[in-house]
Amino acid sequence: MADLLSNLALGFSVAVTPLNLLLCLVGVVTGTLIGVLPGIGSLATIAMLLPITFGLPPVGALIMLAGIYYGAQYGGSTTSILVNIPGEASSVVTTLDGHQMAKQGRAGAALAIAAIGSFFAGCVATILIAALGVPLTSLALLFGPAEYFSLMTLGLIFAVVLARGSVIKALAMVLFGLLLSMMGSDLETGVARMTFDVPELADGIGFVNVAMGVFGFAEIMRNLERKESRHIVQEKVTGLMPTRADLIRSAPAIGRGTVIGALLGILPGGGSIIASFAGYTLEKRISKTPEKFGYGTIEGVAAPESANNAASQTSFIPLLTLGIPPNAVMALMVGAMTIQGIVPGPQVMTKQPDLFWGMIASMWIGNALLIIINLPMIGIWVKLLRIPYRLLFPCILIFCCIGLYSINNSPFDVLIASCFAVFGYWLTKHDFEPAPMLLGMILGPLMEENLRRAMLIARGDPSVFLTRPISAGLLFIAAVLLVLAILPTIRKKRDEVFVEE
Amino acid sequence: MTNQSNVNGGRARPRGFIRAPQDFYGGLVLIGLAVFSMYAGYDLSGMQGFSFGPGTAPRLFAWMLVGFGVIIVLMGVINPGPKVERWYWRGIILTIASIICFALTIRSLGLIPSSFISFMIGAAATDEVKWGQSAIVGAALTAGCAILFPYILNLPFQLWPQF
Repeated sequence: MADLLSNLALGFSVAVTPLNLLLCLVGVVTGTLIGVLPGIGSLATIAMLLPITFGLPPVGALIMLAGIYYGAQYGGSTTSILVNIPGEASSVVTTLDGHQMAKQGRAGAALAIAAIGSFFAGCVATILIAALGVPLTSLALLFGPAEYFSLMTLGLIFAVVLARGSVIKALAMVLFGLLLSMMGSDLETGVARMTFDVPELADGIGFVNVAMGVFGFAEIMRNLERKESRHIVQEKVTGLMPTRADLIRSAPAIGRGTVIGALLGILPGGGSIIASFAGYTLEKRISKTPEKFGYGTIEGVAAPESANNAASQTSFIPLLTLGIPPNAVMALMVGAMTIQGIVPGPQVMTKQPDLFWGMIASMWIGNALLIIINLPMIGIWVKLLRIPYRLLFPCILIFCCIGLYSINNSPFDVLIASCFAVFGYWLTKHDFEPAPMLLGMILGPLMEENLRRAMLIARGDPSVFLTRPISAGLLFIAAVLLVLAILPTIRKKRDEVFVEE
Repeated sequence: MTNQSNVNGGRARPRGFIRAPQDFYGGLVLIGLAVFSMYAGYDLSGMQGFSFGPGTAPRLFAWMLVGFGVIIVLMGVINPGPKVERWYWRGIILTIASIICFALTIRSLGLIPSSFISFMIGAAATDEVKWGQSAIVGAALTAGCAILFPYILNLPFQLWPQF
């Protein structure tokens, strides 16, 4: 406990330096901005801002990028509530009850509860990262290649089980992602793999290019199909102070949302999107009046908004302690750390305690800033929502292009992204989920490396994954999850979870 | 099971054995991609004793993908499912054209002409386009980028074509 306090004190001393405070503010404002604007997500923004972190000190760079991620979770709820369009993928479920509340003239209460829930979740998640950091780091030291491989397998299975739609199709997506990650030079022998002697492919296809194509560009092409009907229900938001009754009703929902979000954030394959769905579903299940959900129930706003914020912060835990990115945004954080010469993993906490604790402390400061940015200043964000999509999407397009190009100063990267834009569009037309593919692509190189090492150490005996207890345990959980997901009866229930939209 | 049962509604389809076109064609394309990756990596060496060669993992994943592709194709034959939705070609073609235009001109024309031209091509991707407004926003965005990226963020961008 005393350790924890002294560590946090160190963190705050790092986080309150003027430069770091400024970067934290820049991060959360940017996050709120892109969260409010539908059609541009935190993934694309962080990718775009990656190159500018070159010139920043490592702590500052990470503080800013982290701020964008959790800031976007705050901003996303504003658009969901006022316009019935999710500003961020993780605010999809907030539209259900949040927008109904706005229609009833209670937008102020919905926005306030969303912000308060997010703030509470952010504080809890910050403490959780601080508390779990040390024990998980020591656990990581027990991990050999076999355990790492099994843990990543579990992560991929999680992503598959939690993805929407068919489990088989999600598994196929994971495999395709793994296959994509094999392109480029082989880590051990240096042999060029599947590159057709194209020099630009020698390092493989950058995961940012794929992510930007599949999520950034393909998203624009999908949005263009629908005719725009954007209508802000309540231009002037009043009543930002929630009533006592609202607070009392939403307090338990905020608590449950925080717990489920924090758990799903820690698990590899989880993240803020899944957390918000799970938070909403749980709340509806245990509610005494589930029939009121979807008609402006405040718990339906409180739970998912707390969950997505908790998850966006706790997903730093596997990255900082085990060195495994649990989702695409965290994989970008790996990129940001690599630029700064930091290898993510258990050694970060011991070798660079100021970086680790500074970032955690900044999250708490960032959450406090976000409450100010999002509540009293809500009017500014509402004005932004009046920009029509026909003017907004070309801006997003150009920003993404410039961002992609500036990562390596390579026009080829932009072309690769355009190929994946078409592929991403094709995927949605055939009901494939792109998220598991991306996770496969992110974890592919790490998985192959650890698989090869484990097999070499075991002299070619694959049973090593089952004879080492931790590895066997992880694989067992993965197998159980997969069986549960494939069993048709449970499948039916699982579908219900996501049918809510 | 009769081939006459028509799950898609509307007119009878000539190839009645495909009951879920999304799955059927989706699976076929994945099999194609897996086979293509095997062709692309046919020269990579495989297992050497008990150590993996550079080709081992790619082929392992490719074969597994073929397996899942086959299951998905079979799903498309057995279970009825929705039709493949129409593609919105105007949006796709002009969005992609805008991206490609940017990639091809950023080196030769510089940031300002390249982003403005790409912006206007992109703006045409919706049939709700209003040219006057788009030109104003495009010019403002270009000006903003020309200040933001090279000066504030210090990224090496060339603004105008060089001769």
